[in-house]
Amino acid sequence: MISGQAVFDRPAAGFAAAAGRLLGSPLFLRAAAGIALLLAWEGVVRAFAPAYVARPTGIARVFVNVIGNEQFLAAAAATLSAVLEGLAMAIVLGTAVGLAMGRVAVVERSLRYYVNSLFATPMVAILPLVTLWFGYNADARLAVIVFAGFFSIAVNTCDGARSVPHEYLEVARSFRARPLAALLDVVLPSSLPYLIAGLRLAAGRALVASVVAEFFISIPGLGYYILFNSRTFKHNEAFVAVIALVVVGVSFEALLNWITRRYLPWARRD
Amino acid sequence: MGSEARWSPYVTVILSLLAGAAAWEIAAQFTTRAFWAPLSETLGSLAESASSGVLVRQATSSLQLYVSGLALAILVGAPFGVLLARVRWLRVALESYIMMLYATPMVALIPFILSMMGYGFAPKVLVVFLFAVFPILYNTVEGARSIRPELIEVAHAFRSSEWELWRDVLIPYTLPFTMTGIRQAIARGLVGMVAAEFFLSPSGLGQMIMMGSQNFDTAGLLAAILVIVVLGVALMDFGCYIEERFASWRGYSR
Repeated sequence: MISGQAVFDRPAAGFAAAAGRLLGSPLFLRAAAGIALLLAWEGVVRAFAPAYVARPTGIARVFVNVIGNEQFLAAAAATLSAVLEGLAMAIVLGTAVGLAMGRVAVVERSLRYYVNSLFATPMVAILPLVTLWFGYNADARLAVIVFAGFFSIAVNTCDGARSVPHEYLEVARSFRARPLAALLDVVLPSSLPYLIAGLRLAAGRALVASVVAEFFISIPGLGYYILFNSRTFKHNEAFVAVIALVVVGVSFEALLNWITRRYLPWARRD
Repeated sequence: MGSEARWSPYVTVILSLLAGAAAWEIAAQFTTRAFWAPLSETLGSLAESASSGVLVRQATSSLQLYVSGLALAILVGAPFGVLLARVRWLRVALESYIMMLYATPMVALIPFILSMMGYGFAPKVLVVFLFAVFPILYNTVEGARSIRPELIEVAHAFRSSEWELWRDVLIPYTLPFTMTGIRQAIARGLVGMVAAEFFLSPSGLGQMIMMGSQNFDTAGLLAAILVIVVLGVALMDFGCYIEERFASWRGYSR
């Protein structure tokens, strides 16, 4: 009789446990929270905000149209290529300056205050100066992106180059490595994790710099696309560009994580 | 040799600062006034705006905005972060969205805020708040994620009340992470402040920069930028100081 009851109980208990596991599973919680957030956004906007304000259903309605729109694609391409070009320049310059500062005391002492203080400067503040120098064009945007990215890479690479274990350099010296070889084969790989950390910071700042520059200079790009469409009260269309910026930011982060895991296993941060 | 090693770093630093000042002064000789103003004129312009009271008024206005936004971000971000440390399912549900918002360039929202809330103090505070709150939240959640369940179990075993659990375990444990977030928020909030002053109603130090560039008053423009650079450096040092101050609370290093 006892065993019979147990047989009847088991499927029900198993079902309840499975339901509990499903309700408690991270995936379900995340999806539920996402839906709840979207519903709250939709509800608040419908109840309190004017009709033009962006809301999930509105964005969903225009999404496909905007994504296929030539003007939008051109804007996204302009912003993305400017950010990548600026970051490439910032990586080359920042690594060179950072390595020099990290390994040569005189360079470090003479540049320290300039690099640290410009690192702490919000790049928005120099926008008007940059437009004075470069004019209201894409060069000014590129300059602001390089400015935004350069200092975080230089500061981090400098830290990395300074923290190279002394033994590595001694080994290099005892094998009579030339200074350039020691720099490229020992110091650079050893400070790569720091460089990646700097790049992570630089990428976020570069994206912000590009958007801000486009607001200020009014040249085609995602930032200007947002500004233009929100001025004409097409908030749903403008928000698609915000989503594009988030996708770019998050995928860059994911790319850096992947590179770190795949090629720099010794630098894994948990 | 020993004494030389002691004073030579200072000599290099002083020489480099002097060289920078000289370069700033001389660079003006090679361009027109529209591009660059010599250091002497910049400092003169700074002294002039300081003595006329403009600098103090604009800096106060900027700091009011900055402190309001940052304080709001800390008041919202830190307690919410600790709450997520306590309520595990809420943290699991929200952490990926917080990560996403942390990575979102908040400047992109300024045009929306402008057309919905118009000009005024509140929308600008909102901008600073949005720039500052997600680093605090993100880092506190990172701290919450690394909280060891044993700590809470031990507290329960000793029959800690909910309040004692917060006071003795959750807040001390997450505080160093929150401080890292606050350090990032201090820097990001400053960017938000200048962006709000540029793109919403002009005010404060941002307005000083704008006016300098519109009136081709390069010395005034550089003077205002110099004030912001000094402010940025001071705030960054302060941020690093408070982060260091609480860093030892992390106990075992990860």
